[in-house]
Amino acid sequence: MVLELQKPRPVWQIMFSTHHTDVGYLYTITGLTFLFMAGVLAMIIRTHLFFPGEGVLVSDSATFNRIFTVHGLTMLFLFALPVANGIGNILVPIMVRYKDMAYPKLNAIAFWMNPVGGALLWLGFADVSWVSYAPYSIIRAPGPAADMFIFGMKILGISSILSSINFVVTVLKCKHPDLSLRRVPLFAWSMLTVSLMTLIAMPTYAAALIMMLTDRLGLSGFFNPFAGGDPIAYLHLFWFTFHPEVYIFLLPAIGMMYEIIPRFSRKPLYSQASGVFAFVMLGIIGFASWGHHMYSTGMDFTTKVVFMIGTLAAVPASGMHVFNFLATMWGARIRFAAPMKFAVGGIALFFSAGAGGVLNSAMPLDFISHGTYWVVGHMHLFLTGTIGFGFVAMVYYMFPYITGRMYSEKWANVHFIGMFWGTVQVFFTQHLLGLEGMPRRIYDYPPEFTSWTQLNQIATVGAWILGASFAVFLASLIYYSAKGKPANMDDPWGLGGKYYYPVAAKNPHGGHSGY
Amino acid sequence: MSHTEHEAPIHRTSSRRLGKMLAIIIGVQVIGGAIFFTNYSYWNSYLPEAGKLQEEQMEKQAAASAAAGPSATQGTFTGKEIHVSLKFVESPDFKNYGFNAPIGTSGANPEIDVNVGDKIDFDVTNGGKSFHAFAVTASSSGPGPAIDGTTIGTADSPMKPGEHGTVSFIPSSAGTYYYICAVPGHRELGMEGKIVVGGGGAASAGGIPAGTGGTVPASGQKAEYSLSFDISSDFSKYGFNGTIGSPSANPTITVHSGDTVTIHLSNPSKSFHAFGVVTDPDNPSSLVWNSAFKTADNPMKPGEKGDVTFVAGTPGLYHYICTVPGHAALGMNGNFVVEK
Amino acid sequence: MGHDTAEWVFVAVVIAVLVYVGVDSWIVQKEVEDVPADAEVIKVTGQQWFWSFEHADGTKEISTLHLKKGHAYKFEIYSRDVMHSFNIPDWVVFEDAVPGHTNHAWFAPNEVGTYPIQCREYCGLLHYNMRGSLVVEDDKS
Repeated sequence: MVLELQKPRPVWQIMFSTHHTDVGYLYTITGLTFLFMAGVLAMIIRTHLFFPGEGVLVSDSATFNRIFTVHGLTMLFLFALPVANGIGNILVPIMVRYKDMAYPKLNAIAFWMNPVGGALLWLGFADVSWVSYAPYSIIRAPGPAADMFIFGMKILGISSILSSINFVVTVLKCKHPDLSLRRVPLFAWSMLTVSLMTLIAMPTYAAALIMMLTDRLGLSGFFNPFAGGDPIAYLHLFWFTFHPEVYIFLLPAIGMMYEIIPRFSRKPLYSQASGVFAFVMLGIIGFASWGHHMYSTGMDFTTKVVFMIGTLAAVPASGMHVFNFLATMWGARIRFAAPMKFAVGGIALFFSAGAGGVLNSAMPLDFISHGTYWVVGHMHLFLTGTIGFGFVAMVYYMFPYITGRMYSEKWANVHFIGMFWGTVQVFFTQHLLGLEGMPRRIYDYPPEFTSWTQLNQIATVGAWILGASFAVFLASLIYYSAKGKPANMDDPWGLGGKYYYPVAAKNPHGGHSGY
Repeated sequence: MSHTEHEAPIHRTSSRRLGKMLAIIIGVQVIGGAIFFTNYSYWNSYLPEAGKLQEEQMEKQAAASAAAGPSATQGTFTGKEIHVSLKFVESPDFKNYGFNAPIGTSGANPEIDVNVGDKIDFDVTNGGKSFHAFAVTASSSGPGPAIDGTTIGTADSPMKPGEHGTVSFIPSSAGTYYYICAVPGHRELGMEGKIVVGGGGAASAGGIPAGTGGTVPASGQKAEYSLSFDISSDFSKYGFNGTIGSPSANPTITVHSGDTVTIHLSNPSKSFHAFGVVTDPDNPSSLVWNSAFKTADNPMKPGEKGDVTFVAGTPGLYHYICTVPGHAALGMNGNFVVEK
Repeated sequence: MGHDTAEWVFVAVVIAVLVYVGVDSWIVQKEVEDVPADAEVIKVTGQQWFWSFEHADGTKEISTLHLKKGHAYKFEIYSRDVMHSFNIPDWVVFEDAVPGHTNHAWFAPNEVGTYPIQCREYCGLLHYNMRGSLVVEDDKS
């Protein structure tokens, strides 16, 4: 591989290496593996829901509940976070002009916690749903699956915290003395922001997990109403972590788009300062809105208003990113290679996801949409539409640098058309399903609701298109990494190199900050 | 990389490297899959401790309310053998459930009439679309507790559509039993049938009609009993003279109409209690004959002792309970039988 | 027009839209939460996996709830075991059933008909089948 050190090393040496590029590959490759595993689960879910009636594909509701639980957990914690960490590991030290991450051994340890946590989650295959609300997860969720879930999430959470510490110290303390923080590339800013957010948000969930475990064992009564506890306490602890966490999932993808869009537009970024400001603002305001997941738990009016304001306040920051991208592309001679297509597609879907989210945040409208397929459509537009597109764009972008070969533009086009069309067809349709009232996490629906059946079938066809496009992606990745045409390492897409990084460090030895 | 790349050779990915990586990834998945599927039934096999505590509580309550009813264990086979075929069915709109037909339609939930010592062989099929579980219970509401040896499947491990099972039931005392679906909610939706058991030995409490609470003049005869309020150390089982489930708990008191009854009460437990004879054990206000000692608002404190004397009234089945709300359901409920 | 004017205008438009959404939501939610004083209280209990109801006069119903057109009803929502969510989608009645809490929702049906009731919070094995019916009849009194 090209970005590795000067000669090819045995695979096992790469696996146990502490060099940031190697750890980055490990994160990225295991992350993509889990993406496809969870994608298979998603295809099972959508195919099963094509017809109403039990046993269409999945034989019983217990198995179905376990499938959607593991699908959610894997996509979020074994794909989204690790791939962001992986790309971050590869690029951030280069971006801050340092030789490695701040703590290389800690880096490797944090990575190796991922397969262990993933094994616990997949072997147990719990049925608690990814949010694992109390009291179900405490008094009813069967073991040992639910206990393995708790231990697996604990390990993944610790891994997240360790890698966050690494990123914060690397960017703030290890960056080159001539490089001012304001001029650090925006992808590194996004990793810095999410790492700081993780350090504040994640410990709350870690505490909630321990409390859930002791509750399950009958030793305590934090969330168990039959032992004097309150399930709403769990919801607060959970969402205090996981609302900021959704921004943690999102920001690296936006950061990756900041790498790709100015480059393929052959034009300087519209405003570095805007990007920095928007990241920091989102990082702070992201903590003010967790209650919007709990509007219907019996909240009083004032509390609902406070959380609605907190939710709406974060929207302008996202808007600033969209504006930044559009203004950069405005009047530019754009090279629409695969990374650019996916990045721009991602922005379009980001905008539509955000627009739908405004409806959720409006208190009275949330009572129509909460707990229905509207939320499923909305969150998947963010997850698949923005994060998925952003990560795929970055994988295509890094492809020549990692393998030394070019992927096929033609098959990447097929992938793009299928993924964009499929994403729109599944997730826009699910917004309509939600308005029709279909709840989430259901194994079956009444056949007399014909509109539900029709919409489910449209959504499933869209999901098949999306799944087929990912199969093309997987085949393309495998085939062209070994058989692709050797890439021009100085300029794989023939962009011209004139509008590279606008913020070059004043380093007499470095020249430009490209690679 | 930077300009130094031009000097060093560029190592592009080869098929061998790719092959090694794919072998590792696929190998791990195959091994993981093998581990998962060989132990498939283990992963989701038991309820958490916290859930068991709640289930036990619910079962105690159901058992307490059934304590005054027919015996909750199976008897010995001394009579006839009867075969009964039952099928779990649901109405097409899933609103009504039943055995053999949805409740409300003809043929649903057939009543079974037998005598003590007869054996009922149940042949149960799940003819519905949902999951069900079969049980015979003595309690008149709720999904249990099931009499030992009468269950096919449980709520956590139910009978799937098309599944079939057999089980036998020999009632050991007279009274009304119920064959139900033990999945919570299904009994209320219609899956409940009666087993009326006649004959049997000495008049069990289930065969005596409830008393009306009328008063009679004192006959001069006296009777004395001692009762203590007991609670288990984990606060889950209550009872008189022992906690519910132990052999000495909640002794049946039998007196004659007109007896002057004195009850010596003591409270060695850690909680507050109050005493009374009632017609309905679920209703602490259905007191009769001024038999109350202390009340829920002014109860007996831990360590307190006291006596109450009253004249037993018209014959029938009454209950002596702790009148603090909830305590009767938790086990402080015994039969108070007034004979002629 | 400076380099940043377009961005400021854009952000201002976004904020204006959000302020409108926020104020309108405030107004509507205030109206929605204003329960009429003469609303009849219906106790709703959710448990795995069915709904049971108790009218103000003590009548109990399971799975099917009969109400009268033109009256206001306030639901007191309880749960016996895990979290559920009581939902009548056609009348936008929606509030969680949390064990240990009592939640409220109200509505006033003004059309007769039969409407579905469903559970909208994952509660285990038969969450998908935790359905009921609301039957709104003419007020014959």
